[in-house]
Amino acid sequence: MTGARLDYPSMARRVAGELKAGEVVALGPGVPGLVPGQTAANNGVWFVSESGAVGYHSSGAAAADLAVDSSGAAAVILPGGSFTGVVDVAAMLRGGRVGMAVLQPAQLSAQGDMVHWTTVLTPGMFTPGSAVDLAAGAGRVVAMMRHTRPDGSPNIVEQIRLPVDGVQCVTTIVTDIALLTVGQEGLELREVAPGWTSDEVTALTGATLTVSDGLKEMTFEVPLLSPPDKIYATALEAVQDVPDGAVVNVDGFAGPGGMAHYLLTGLRDHGAKGLTMISNTAGIARVVNFGTPEGLVPIDHSILVENGQVAKSIASYPVSPSASRPSAFEEAYQRGEATLEVVPQGTLAERLRCGGAGVGAFYTPTGAGTLLADGKETRVIDGKEYVLEMGIKADYCMMRGHKADTLGNVVYKGTSRNFNPVMATAARVTVVEVDEIVEAGALDPEEIVTPGIFIDRIVKRPDDFSGYL
Amino acid sequence: MANVSSNQTSDSRKVYPSAAAALDTLREGSVVAIGGFGGQGVPETLVRALVTSGSKGLTCVCQGAWPRQDGSPDRVDVADLVEAGLVKKLIAPLPFHPEHGGPVKDHWEAGTLEIEVVPTGILAERLRAGGAGLGGVFLPTGAGTRFANGMEVREIDGRDHLFQPALKADIALLRAHGADTLGNLIYRGTQRNWNPVMAMAAAVTVVEVDQVHEPGGIDPELVITPAIFVDRIVQTV
Repeated sequence: MTGARLDYPSMARRVAGELKAGEVVALGPGVPGLVPGQTAANNGVWFVSESGAVGYHSSGAAAADLAVDSSGAAAVILPGGSFTGVVDVAAMLRGGRVGMAVLQPAQLSAQGDMVHWTTVLTPGMFTPGSAVDLAAGAGRVVAMMRHTRPDGSPNIVEQIRLPVDGVQCVTTIVTDIALLTVGQEGLELREVAPGWTSDEVTALTGATLTVSDGLKEMTFEVPLLSPPDKIYATALEAVQDVPDGAVVNVDGFAGPGGMAHYLLTGLRDHGAKGLTMISNTAGIARVVNFGTPEGLVPIDHSILVENGQVAKSIASYPVSPSASRPSAFEEAYQRGEATLEVVPQGTLAERLRCGGAGVGAFYTPTGAGTLLADGKETRVIDGKEYVLEMGIKADYCMMRGHKADTLGNVVYKGTSRNFNPVMATAARVTVVEVDEIVEAGALDPEEIVTPGIFIDRIVKRPDDFSGYL
Repeated sequence: MANVSSNQTSDSRKVYPSAAAALDTLREGSVVAIGGFGGQGVPETLVRALVTSGSKGLTCVCQGAWPRQDGSPDRVDVADLVEAGLVKKLIAPLPFHPEHGGPVKDHWEAGTLEIEVVPTGILAERLRAGGAGLGGVFLPTGAGTRFANGMEVREIDGRDHLFQPALKADIALLRAHGADTLGNLIYRGTQRNWNPVMAMAAAVTVVEVDQVHEPGGIDPELVITPAIFVDRIVQTV
């Protein structure tokens, strides 16, 4: 006898079983909105909606007060959650910060191509909403859908005839009768809903599938996850896996403000060599007086240069403004020990922003007609000349905030913000040094500038640590 | 003597007495960006005033119309502009709720409304490019789908990217929680949504807010949209 079809909350519960601790999980409109309600509110993942809700949970309230999810349903922001805009959520997706997306296709192919439910319901217009972003951006894409249409015809087919919203994007399918995966070998049936057999599921599937050797009956446990511990005891511990040859964002504007002095000493002590350093200056704090008391030497990029660790600088102010007081990097450059790529400040910021936001390249008017455009592609758009510049992304980011909570949400103080928020997004591993670490929920969601999604490691700058050598 | 008032502590030249007065630069055929998502952060006072103004031939850029079947019959959005016959073209990721239809669907089916469907993240990034002075961007989003039809494709880092031209509006109608008289904005909850990026991308940005503060009345660390992007402020009634 055939089992019952799962209802949507049960399917959401099975999807919740796929969550991984600390992961960012983007939920599209429709039934994916049921997933948070099947988890504990403090289960250590970040649910994110295109609405701009970051770190939210289902509210259950009939009318939304402060926040909505992707379907417009009421949401609550959890301790450590925050708010952002549509453009920033799309950037998180494209930029590779979202580990898993859940969306509701109406049809799916054996290759993982997908048509979103909103597209099918708007024939001739075909409106995907955010489904194209979810399909293209997330690490894993989980489809949550009915296995068949009301007339019994399959929603999973060999070839989709409707216009698709995502190509070879879906990795896992949770339906009302089964769980399947999409891999190189095609569809694989991994789990059947209680009471269903693999033959019954196969008969209702419009595409060839293989039955997993480990086929099992679906269960509905949702593990209670804990957010990963991001706090490191010392700067050295937080940077000790930086390999030789790594590309490292070093924050800070010019002087002491917003510079991760403590992390820089950690990176110096760690000793990784052949580094490419992306920064506004290549270290001029000690040759330009930014209010440094007499006799003190401020910590900046120069400590890495002097330690022979920097092979290349990508910077907008690579040299000292005083020819008689060259910076450590200038001297290394003149000795032929380091190379240099000069990038105008706004272009550097935009290249980092695009690297972090998954924008491959952009046309900027900055530098058009100057030496900085030499060898670069240009294009006239609406009568104005633009230069093509590429997004840039580092392996590590050494950044400075004022406070962080334990989940990595960061607030800044004054102009120490500068390059920090954009550099935080543009690295695979972002390490932040802060004056104070507070509990999740201690920062007002409206004041959080860099969501913890972008922060991998947190180090408290010791109270007795000096920014001077 | 025109610059005298800018030296005063309180500069209220951006604060308009009514929504109608704040919309006096809006012309027939204007491109209008309208904030809001899921019924939150929608500039309802400004949209009502626009309906009354009767400016026709508008191109509206927004998330799309939100259904009214949720017990909020007073709610207004782009559907009201469409219903009033003011909109020539709508650029949106989800022009109307697929299950609930409404004026946008009706006018599109009747052939009186042109619709350009642009996926959410692509539309947001096109506006951001417009606001940031970029000519356009290459995005991986939508490669291999119908959104790549007729588009310039370029492989970057081994992945197909589509060229997306910058998008700017003549005027943005936005909603925020608070403004100071200089135009610095703070939002509340998911009210933020499209509003900050649209503030950057319009020649004239008009915002309606619940509270208007004196300069200094908003903590500088909390400002989301700097006054630089805001031209006109209206207090909601």
